[in-house]
Amino acid sequence: MLLESKENLTIDKEEFKPLIVAFCCNWCSYAGADLAGTSRLNYPANIRIIKVPCSCRVNPNFVLRAFQNGADGVVIAGCHPGDCHYSTGNYFARRRLTLFTSLLNYIGIESERLKVDWISAAEANKFATVMNDVLEKVHKLGPNRKLRDVRWKR
Amino acid sequence: MEEMISKMKKIAYEDLSTKKVDRVIGFGKGDFIYEANPIFISNLEEVDLLVWDLFCVNNLSKYLINELKNYQKIGIFLKGCDSLGFNQLVKDNKVDPDNVIVYGVPCEGMIDPNKLSKKNLLKDLRYLRRVDEKLIIVTKQGEKELIAKDYEYDKCLKCKHPNPVVYSELLESNTLRNSILTDDFEEVDRIEDMNSEERYEYWSEQFSKCIRCYACRNICPVCSCDKCIFDNLDIGVSGKAKVDSEDQFFHIVRAYHVAGRCVDCGECSRVCPESIAIDKLNRKIIKDITEIYGEYDAGLNPSKSSVLVNYKLEDFDPFETSKGGK
Repeated sequence: MLLESKENLTIDKEEFKPLIVAFCCNWCSYAGADLAGTSRLNYPANIRIIKVPCSCRVNPNFVLRAFQNGADGVVIAGCHPGDCHYSTGNYFARRRLTLFTSLLNYIGIESERLKVDWISAAEANKFATVMNDVLEKVHKLGPNRKLRDVRWKR
Repeated sequence: MEEMISKMKKIAYEDLSTKKVDRVIGFGKGDFIYEANPIFISNLEEVDLLVWDLFCVNNLSKYLINELKNYQKIGIFLKGCDSLGFNQLVKDNKVDPDNVIVYGVPCEGMIDPNKLSKKNLLKDLRYLRRVDEKLIIVTKQGEKELIAKDYEYDKCLKCKHPNPVVYSELLESNTLRNSILTDDFEEVDRIEDMNSEERYEYWSEQFSKCIRCYACRNICPVCSCDKCIFDNLDIGVSGKAKVDSEDQFFHIVRAYHVAGRCVDCGECSRVCPESIAIDKLNRKIIKDITEIYGEYDAGLNPSKSSVLVNYKLEDFDPFETSKGGK
């Protein structure tokens, strides 16, 4: 048997393990993730957290590139509106992401794949539930093929 | 038409000779009768090149950005849809309105040569004239009378502002055309009604036609960044490969970059050589903004800031879920 076909067999046998990229704001959601860890709460290991200064730092390019290069789901988490460390950042993020999520949905991307939520530093429980929830939904949807770059290899 | 051309020449000649302006941007005749190109006039002798006909569809406002780098005062002929772009350029601080004299030209709708060519009317075309709703075409074979609406650009059929919204001098005060004020977003609704697989298929088909010529970006009056992220390959934002994901990336990001600023002039889909429905992306965003944040007025009011650089505490929040966890 050729080496290549052997490889394909092993990939087929492998169970689908979704990869979730989470953009977490430094002041709230990242600290929330920290608290979830120190409180020994369970949340899936498939989540890759990227720390950003504020939820409004998340450029739509980041989200698209994440989807293209391996992510099956993306989470953007920031402070609750009104609690932003920079006073107004998440108000702007809210408007931008409202339009962006709607635009992605219009292009035909399942809206469950991109989750935006407000998670404060004290809400370790919420962090864990949101991540479990997203993982479950993405798992149901299966691997993201719609936005994937054809040159990408796992 | 002829009357308008003589008015244009007169005003351009006057202002150039009195040094009120030192450059005039207008329309000149192209190689074919169905072509009108932008021309840039500094000499009095060149004023005679100015034309105005049913093919002057280009939006001239974007040329101001580059021309103002070399000239102090510029006179420019703008139609209704171009004047929206001009207002947006002023709002984006790309153009100083004090250095520009806008000659407003009411427009009665432009004729699409592609639509004429589909009916095989471009051949031996000699002369073309519009009388209200009728289009009179003179070819070698003789005269023909057609319904003008059938041959107008798609964007003209939905025209909201046939008269310029901003001008220093208006060349013709009569409105030549009724504006269509109701916006029904019919074509956006049609796509929204599909399920996500169908939508994805529709857009994949559209995006895969893209040859990444960036004509849509270059013509757009609000795509006015000095250095576009799609020109800056070093920062790794944009790739040059011709793969579906890069096409998707370009179109989503382009639409998103003009969100809240797009004046809905329809130039992007007009210039697209592959006729991708680019305006349907822009209009989806416009629809969302109208529904969520109130009336959309990009290009109408240069002093009011646009939707995405603004916020309200009580904005609609689609992401809010109940607080706390289990």
